[in-house]
Amino acid sequence: MLAKLAARNVKRQIKNYVIYFITVSLTVALMFAMNNAIFDKTMLAKSVDIKELKTGLTVLTVLISVIVAFVLGYATSFMLKLRKHEFGTYLTLGMTRSNILCIFLTESLILCALSLITGLLLGLAFYQGIMAIVTNIMETEFVFAPYSAKGLLLTVASVVAVFVLSNLTSAVYLRRVSIFSLIRGARKTEKKVRCPAAWFALSAVSLAAVIYCCIAFNVELKKIIRTDASPLVPVLILFGFAAAMLLFHIGVSKSLFHVLLRSEKFKNSGANTFVLRQLSGKMSGNAVMAGMLALLISLAIIGANFSFAMKAFNNESLMRDYPFDISAEISTDNTSVTPDDADEIISGYAEIESKTAYSVYDSGERYLHGFTKWASDGYWDLTDSYITESDFNKICAKSGKDATDLKGGFMIAFNPAYENEIKSCDFSSAALNFGGAELRFNGFCQAPLISYNFFVAIVPDDAVIGMEKKTDGLIYDLKNDSFDAQGLYDALSYERASGNWTLRLCDFKIREYERVQLNANSAVFVISALYASFVFVFLAMAILALKTLSDAADNRRRYEILNKIGASEKTQCRALFAQIFAFFFLPFCLPLLTSIPAGAAFTTIMTLTGFAAANLKTAATTLTIALIITAVYALYFTATYLLAKRYVIARKTT
Amino acid sequence: MNEILNVQNVTKYYGNGSVVTKALDGISFSVKKGEFTAVMGASGSGKSTLLNVIATIDRASSGNVILDGINVSNMREDELSAFRRDKLGFIFQDYNLLDTLTVEENITLPLNLRRAPLEKTKKDLLKVASELGIAAQLKKFPYELSGGQRQRAACARALITSPALILADEPTGALDSNSTKSLMKTFSMMNEALGSTILTVTHDANVGSYASRILFLKDGKLFSEIIRGNKTQREMYAEILSVTTALGGDADAC
Repeated sequence: MLAKLAARNVKRQIKNYVIYFITVSLTVALMFAMNNAIFDKTMLAKSVDIKELKTGLTVLTVLISVIVAFVLGYATSFMLKLRKHEFGTYLTLGMTRSNILCIFLTESLILCALSLITGLLLGLAFYQGIMAIVTNIMETEFVFAPYSAKGLLLTVASVVAVFVLSNLTSAVYLRRVSIFSLIRGARKTEKKVRCPAAWFALSAVSLAAVIYCCIAFNVELKKIIRTDASPLVPVLILFGFAAAMLLFHIGVSKSLFHVLLRSEKFKNSGANTFVLRQLSGKMSGNAVMAGMLALLISLAIIGANFSFAMKAFNNESLMRDYPFDISAEISTDNTSVTPDDADEIISGYAEIESKTAYSVYDSGERYLHGFTKWASDGYWDLTDSYITESDFNKICAKSGKDATDLKGGFMIAFNPAYENEIKSCDFSSAALNFGGAELRFNGFCQAPLISYNFFVAIVPDDAVIGMEKKTDGLIYDLKNDSFDAQGLYDALSYERASGNWTLRLCDFKIREYERVQLNANSAVFVISALYASFVFVFLAMAILALKTLSDAADNRRRYEILNKIGASEKTQCRALFAQIFAFFFLPFCLPLLTSIPAGAAFTTIMTLTGFAAANLKTAATTLTIALIITAVYALYFTATYLLAKRYVIARKTT
Repeated sequence: MNEILNVQNVTKYYGNGSVVTKALDGISFSVKKGEFTAVMGASGSGKSTLLNVIATIDRASSGNVILDGINVSNMREDELSAFRRDKLGFIFQDYNLLDTLTVEENITLPLNLRRAPLEKTKKDLLKVASELGIAAQLKKFPYELSGGQRQRAACARALITSPALILADEPTGALDSNSTKSLMKTFSMMNEALGSTILTVTHDANVGSYASRILFLKDGKLFSEIIRGNKTQREMYAEILSVTTALGGDADAC
């Protein structure tokens, strides 16, 4: 009989549960899709790093499940609030608390089961969608991705855990609450906020702190890229940003509407007083919640931006760091793959179109490093490297660049990753002596990455006579891009003992292998960040929606009074819209604006690392993320407003 | 005296199909300007339905309600809202004050909805608050007031727009005897000193005895009517009791 009652209740309460149901279903669908992706064999096969990330992703799923449980627990308590009077009535009719608990948990179970089924069905499509994004990022052809039993089990286990955790608080409440409290409910009164001016001041200071943190983060980021400064400061700034964001929303929730209520002209127009009072009471009572939601949305926006910026960075750095199909710097000592062996191995995987050999020499001295920031004793193992003009020009020719003219001096070819650091060094007084001839510094030269060093000095061919050859360089052009890059990498790798460890090394840089690796890693980061971001946004939206709908009964009574004293339906709708809009968008506006500093930070990274050309793309990505999140937000807002309007606004006379 | 309200053969049905209840059965009467009219009757006699139809928050199934010369029976919804805002004042049993607004904000809300100038709003607020003795309570929230004070605040809200007709639905239903007495004196003052036209629904003979005219309903029809004339309040009270006895003794008069 109790189960029947619970089933009927779910049917009857469907309009109240609809937002809850949609949110849980979407979250389950995302969980299921992500869990399947974690166990996807084809994706795992693409990258060694992903195998190590698998544990991390599983932890992420568990962590998100805990957050979902917390938020849904909060949501469940709203649902309970809507039904207090009903449960109180059951108790007065002689039902035991166990009966009530049984009804409530059965209802939750029905809802959970329905959400799980819907979520899993949606998840089937979501997973293919995720894999379509993954294959797009990995630049591979999309094929139907098989579903994983382990993924299904992990999802079901997570959902059951979420269900148990989220219902625990409500169950404890139902066990302890008095019948009087259930029937009468908490006395709804407007609590006066103490010192709204102080809260307003706090929000102003916090806003200043948020802006300061954004600027300071950008400045520190530049320092890190330029001078290898400690990352501790930016991390502290991020914590400061989180605290300021939280405090700003608490302060503004407790003060903004009180401050507006002081403007007599504004409040004495139409239903403004009513709307402001509705909001002041609601926002001051939910100030901490608004702060937490703002934080969640900020994290969602920053996370999504970070993942796409990382992908853009990886894409750009691939062509810079791997300018040739295959390049190698083979140490002249202790290597197991000689240049001759390499030709044979590579030919076994891909047809070689051309091959270029060059040499890098070592003077054993640190004279040129003395002009750089790597002059200190901490870099004692860095010695000056040299390349001959003819070898360097061969490399330039391979990469389509003009030949270099030393004009009787020497030039510094910098590693493109350290362009800013090298160019800031003053080599003007540097002079090299080779066989009695003095070579003066004659400028910088950018070249494709040819050395693991920070820079190489380009000198006339006869200057290296007598110098020790440090490495043999090889550059290969292949006739085709499509080959078993992983197999080639493994074939060119060798093992070397180092203490108690055996290191697996490879002196060859295979662009195709790196491309697959980077794409796979980018795919994992993008998907993880999007997963977390969307779950956070869904949960934030759901809380706001449920909080709005749980107050519908009180609001209905108030709007009925408005109707009786002559507020037209249009005025009531406008008031309700303003009320819900402000409630929804107050914790959203500033987090949305964090897109600007986030985009600026990633633009800074791209610029300082030599990828300024990709800035427009980064900005477009930031804008797209902001638009998508706003669209999701607007959808939830619209659904909530329409549901609330249907329930709250006094119906026409019949 | 001018006629403010004219109810013409009003009928109201609830339900549909085979289950139809006739709540009002061809009721006709009129209320003149400055009259204090009470409608009494047993539970289910149709008095609240009649009030809702006059208040334009419910529509009659047939018949006409003419208020201040305007037939409201066929008005559009938005016209009705404006009509309620401009022509009617409401006082309810449970006060119907907005719990989130201060007393001052509650009272001035109808003027705000009319977008009345700020200076006029302030002036009218002070006038009505002082007439009803709640000037000291303006900055308080409803939960900080006693039941009697809340009902006076509701009266102030009904009065501030100087409506053509004030409608009261069981205004003393939630009050103790002292507050009831105080409120009815306020009603009398509003009627006699301020010239307000009041139509109240009540089941309390004591409340009815303050009115200048009483209409009795039974099963949705007008059953009887008492006119005060030169009668004292005590005489009115006795007459109300005798009519309720004649109604069948099932009226809720006490």
